[in-house]
Amino acid sequence: MTEPIGRFSAAGTIGRGLEEAPVLRQGLGVTWLLAAGGAGGRVIVPIVVQQAIDRGIAGADDIDLRVVVWCAVIGVVAQVAAAICQRAAIIRLGTRSEQALSDLRTRLIGHIHRISLADHNEERRGALVARVTSDIETLAEFFRWGGLAWLIDGTLMLIVAAVMLAYNWLLAMIAIAIAIPLFLALRIVQRYLVAAYDRARDRNANMLATMTELVSGAETIRAYDAAAMFTERARAAVKGRADTQIRAGVIGAFLFPLGEVFSVVTIATIVAVGVALGPGGGLTAGALVGFIFLTYRFLEPIAEFTEVLDQTQTAVAGLRRVLTVLDIPAGPPPPESPRPLPAGRLDLTIADVTFSYRSRSGRGTSDEIVLDRVSAHIPAGQQVALVGATGSGKTTLGRLIARLADPVTGTVRLGGVPLVQVDDDELRRRLVVVAQEPFLFDDTVLANILFARLDATRADAERIVDEIEVRDWVDALPDGLDTRVGERGDSLSAGERQLVALLRAGIADPDVLLLDEATSSVDALTEVRTSRALAKLAAGRTTIAIAHRLSTAARADRVLVLEGGRLVEDGPHEALIGAGGTYQRLYEAWLSATSS
Amino acid sequence: MGNDGPPPRSSRARTYTRFVRTLVTLHPRRFATAVAGAFVFAVCTVASSVAVQWVIDHVIVPRFEQGDVAVSTVAAGCVMIVGIGLLRAGGVVVRRSFAGITSWRVAESVTNEITDRYLTQPTSWHRRQSEGQLVARAGVDVDTTISVLGPIPFATGTIVMMVVAAVWLIATDVVMGVAAVAVFPLLMIANVVYQHRVDRHFDDAQEALGRFSGAVHESFEAVQLVKAYGAGRRETERLSALAHDIRDARIRAVHLRGTFEALLEMVPSLANIGLVVLGAVRVRSGAVTIGELSGFVYMFTLLIFPLRLVGYALSELPHSYAGYQRVREVLDDPLDDDPVNSIGVPGDGSAVVLDRVSFVHHGDTTEVVREASVRIAPGTVTAFVGPTAAGKSTLIDLLAGLLQPTSGTVRLPVGRRAVVFQEAFLFGGTIRENVRLDEPLDDDRVWDALRLACADGFVGELPDGLDTLVGERGVTLSGGQRQRIALARALARRPGLLLLDDTTSALDPATELAVLTNLRTSLAGTTVVMVASRPSTIALADDVLFVEQGRIVAHGPHQRLMQESPAYRRLVEAFEADRGGDEFDAASRAFSGGRP
Repeated sequence: MTEPIGRFSAAGTIGRGLEEAPVLRQGLGVTWLLAAGGAGGRVIVPIVVQQAIDRGIAGADDIDLRVVVWCAVIGVVAQVAAAICQRAAIIRLGTRSEQALSDLRTRLIGHIHRISLADHNEERRGALVARVTSDIETLAEFFRWGGLAWLIDGTLMLIVAAVMLAYNWLLAMIAIAIAIPLFLALRIVQRYLVAAYDRARDRNANMLATMTELVSGAETIRAYDAAAMFTERARAAVKGRADTQIRAGVIGAFLFPLGEVFSVVTIATIVAVGVALGPGGGLTAGALVGFIFLTYRFLEPIAEFTEVLDQTQTAVAGLRRVLTVLDIPAGPPPPESPRPLPAGRLDLTIADVTFSYRSRSGRGTSDEIVLDRVSAHIPAGQQVALVGATGSGKTTLGRLIARLADPVTGTVRLGGVPLVQVDDDELRRRLVVVAQEPFLFDDTVLANILFARLDATRADAERIVDEIEVRDWVDALPDGLDTRVGERGDSLSAGERQLVALLRAGIADPDVLLLDEATSSVDALTEVRTSRALAKLAAGRTTIAIAHRLSTAARADRVLVLEGGRLVEDGPHEALIGAGGTYQRLYEAWLSATSS
Repeated sequence: MGNDGPPPRSSRARTYTRFVRTLVTLHPRRFATAVAGAFVFAVCTVASSVAVQWVIDHVIVPRFEQGDVAVSTVAAGCVMIVGIGLLRAGGVVVRRSFAGITSWRVAESVTNEITDRYLTQPTSWHRRQSEGQLVARAGVDVDTTISVLGPIPFATGTIVMMVVAAVWLIATDVVMGVAAVAVFPLLMIANVVYQHRVDRHFDDAQEALGRFSGAVHESFEAVQLVKAYGAGRRETERLSALAHDIRDARIRAVHLRGTFEALLEMVPSLANIGLVVLGAVRVRSGAVTIGELSGFVYMFTLLIFPLRLVGYALSELPHSYAGYQRVREVLDDPLDDDPVNSIGVPGDGSAVVLDRVSFVHHGDTTEVVREASVRIAPGTVTAFVGPTAAGKSTLIDLLAGLLQPTSGTVRLPVGRRAVVFQEAFLFGGTIRENVRLDEPLDDDRVWDALRLACADGFVGELPDGLDTLVGERGVTLSGGQRQRIALARALARRPGLLLLDDTTSALDPATELAVLTNLRTSLAGTTVVMVASRPSTIALADDVLFVEQGRIVAHGPHQRLMQESPAYRRLVEAFEADRGGDEFDAASRAFSGGRP
């Protein structure tokens, strides 16, 4: 396996990146040769001009047209060949890099879906999306401009430098010597420019935030007659953005002219030195004229290079972030030799289970214990409620039962088989989780139901609709099962989203049902329907409900009470009410809260 | 719907000219300065070619052919080259700086116009728009609109330069001049065609990227569901297909780019070689000097890059124009009537009178409120109770003067009204600013209001008290805390009529009770109308208005409605069952030591 990159150098990051994207490496040498051929084309014209002037036009008494024509023919052939090389180089690099980035996107997504749920949380979700989208875009941007510039302009500068040296080493050294301070000056301007653009981006974000406020708060602003204040805020934000953008623009305006100034200084110096050397120095008029053109060609890419260097840094930083995600260990590993689950309804054994979440900094030993040596046996077909205050560990225990994570010590067994030995596909067929806030894709109700099983059909969905008795609800939808649910199911009410989730679970026809009950209230009429559908769905299946409502606990066959990660009570509702323990206190607290 | 397409071909040039003129006339002097800079650049570009030619003819050739040249001539040549170069660089600085200033000041003017429009349009208009779209109009669409202003001074300068260059070339030698000038339009057309064609692929790629990003976001958001159903591989495949769309569009673009880059590099070079051959013939016949020939070649090298940018500027026009059309759409949309103007004054001393009020949303046919008639006595607390989507929130909006009745009249006495919505709107400022808004309230008044809203406790504990920033750059407040700040904002105004749209439901029951009791005791003269769904909240009201399907079906004290209306009783009982969970959870939080 490849090593984690941690805080590796830029070179290390690029090396590791090439390793992860083998497509890029293939034929890189050929691409470079083609790029060199293409770059060679740019020095042809100065050479042809020089040759034609020296051999055909100048010097001799009579102008030799044949020499001029021969020079031209050679020039044309070389120019066409160079164009073909250039085209091939651009297409090769472009195609390979896009292929490599596409592969990288797929790999990243695959990996992110494999990493443990412990590594997925609200704060990191945006970051993970950014890894797959904007960070890879910085790489794409780099390949589109920077990568090509390194390849073609870099080669061009080398070739031009070589040709200049071949003409006259002294003049060439002058051109190169002047290029060095130019490069340094450009870097300094560049640095100011980057800082200026950072500020401009910041002000831009601020302006958009202000606009968003203005739009989303339109009602309040109107109701409180506060338009004057918000006009002022918006004016300031808009002006702030314009000011910073203009500042960045003015700094940027000096970047290109700087190259121009250095170019003319170089040309004047070369003319002066060249004339001083004269024919005695082995120089010809054509060579000196050619030099003027070469100087232009030599200095032209430098301004571009300073930008490319910056883009390269951005791309390397992006690549490093991408590779860091690939280094997050994948979630529960698949079993080496999976054992099949027995047929029929399944019982569940939780044996001495302890769990703690990985802290962000790594695998610290000081991680807080979330579950502490929990044991319980749940016979097939039993309806169990997990009860406890926020942070008692009930949600985590649910996750371990669903094998969304593995216990640190201890075992969870389903039908007598340890979960770690169960093939994931089989586990998902037999055990289904209905989440607290069920997630719906921006698609139809039907598509969301069929998500549960790849081979399920519309007829299956219709059957489940009848089975859990929600036909009246489906019929009332504008397009029945084909009604679109909107982003995250926003067009449906919270209760309706839960109904879709129950239908989805029904289609999967699991032997074990794990319910993470909603804390948020749903509207009362849907609530009745949801409870009925849930009862139908749970009938006969081993059901574990992470209960937030006392009524759910009261209905269950058995209640498991967790406190501070420990299982403190276990028994039916009626028995626990009078047991004088945690559950009784919870119950009494509830009673007093409702009677006041 | 917006017409994003380009205007018909026949009138295109005129439309685009008018469009550019509209923008430019917002800041004409700055724009003129930018164009002047471009003129200097253009003239100096031609002049630099003349200078090079002069140096070749008067310095280099005499030195190498006659063996000697005056030092003063060499110095003059060098000074000429450097001087013209500096002037040319100065032209670039002026042009780029002022092009930037023009662009961003135009953006500022347009955005300010948009802001004013947003703040003038009443709530009914805002309800018909998508917030994201409105922000996009003021953000990306304005950016797109001004994107053409950067290249326009440059393009203008380049066209001037081409004309000057063409005149100069033809004046120097008619035959070579005409041959060279003929290449300009050819290159320009090739550029425009290329930009136009490649843009289509870039647009495709951009669109594919948008779809991909959306899908990635959704997929990662659904990670728990994806894991629960073992659908990781399926999701990866689905997203990978979307990634392939990006790749394919970009690879198509890169093929086009390879061909055109090679062509655009090759054509001027070939033309240059042709000029050398033609030049040799002209030199032999004595029509031109070697210096003039070199000047021709140099001129060509200088013109290639600007020519490419003209193509870019022209291809940018349709995008900019489309962006501006979208901006115009929101600016030109007629203003909705301001509902406040339609509110009458009750003649009988009532605090609120609704007289056969009906409301239909714009472009809809179903009545959200139907023939609602009611009188509310001053100083009383009235609760709107009803199932989801019964029209309660719309009634509040009508009373707040945010929506205008489709028929019937709303009558309210003159005096302050304050409304608090279901979702609290806080903007990125301090707590003091959020409470005060436009009103110059002193801190005592602010603290009083916070105390009544039960917000003084947590605000007092914040590090900077009233100066604490809220929002993205400040502290994160919970939903309940935000709601209490919004409530304080309303109370600080000591309103005669207080409208609460299910405001207190985000608070836990104990806090809600405390807030409502404060309202009763401290704002005795204030009439309160609120939407309520908790039995405990309803119990606090003097009167209940039972709303069903837009109609007020019963009006009276809670106890009486419980006896007289079976539908009302069923609803309240359902609320109670539903809220059981809430109370239980709150109780368990309290029990575990967490503050509610």
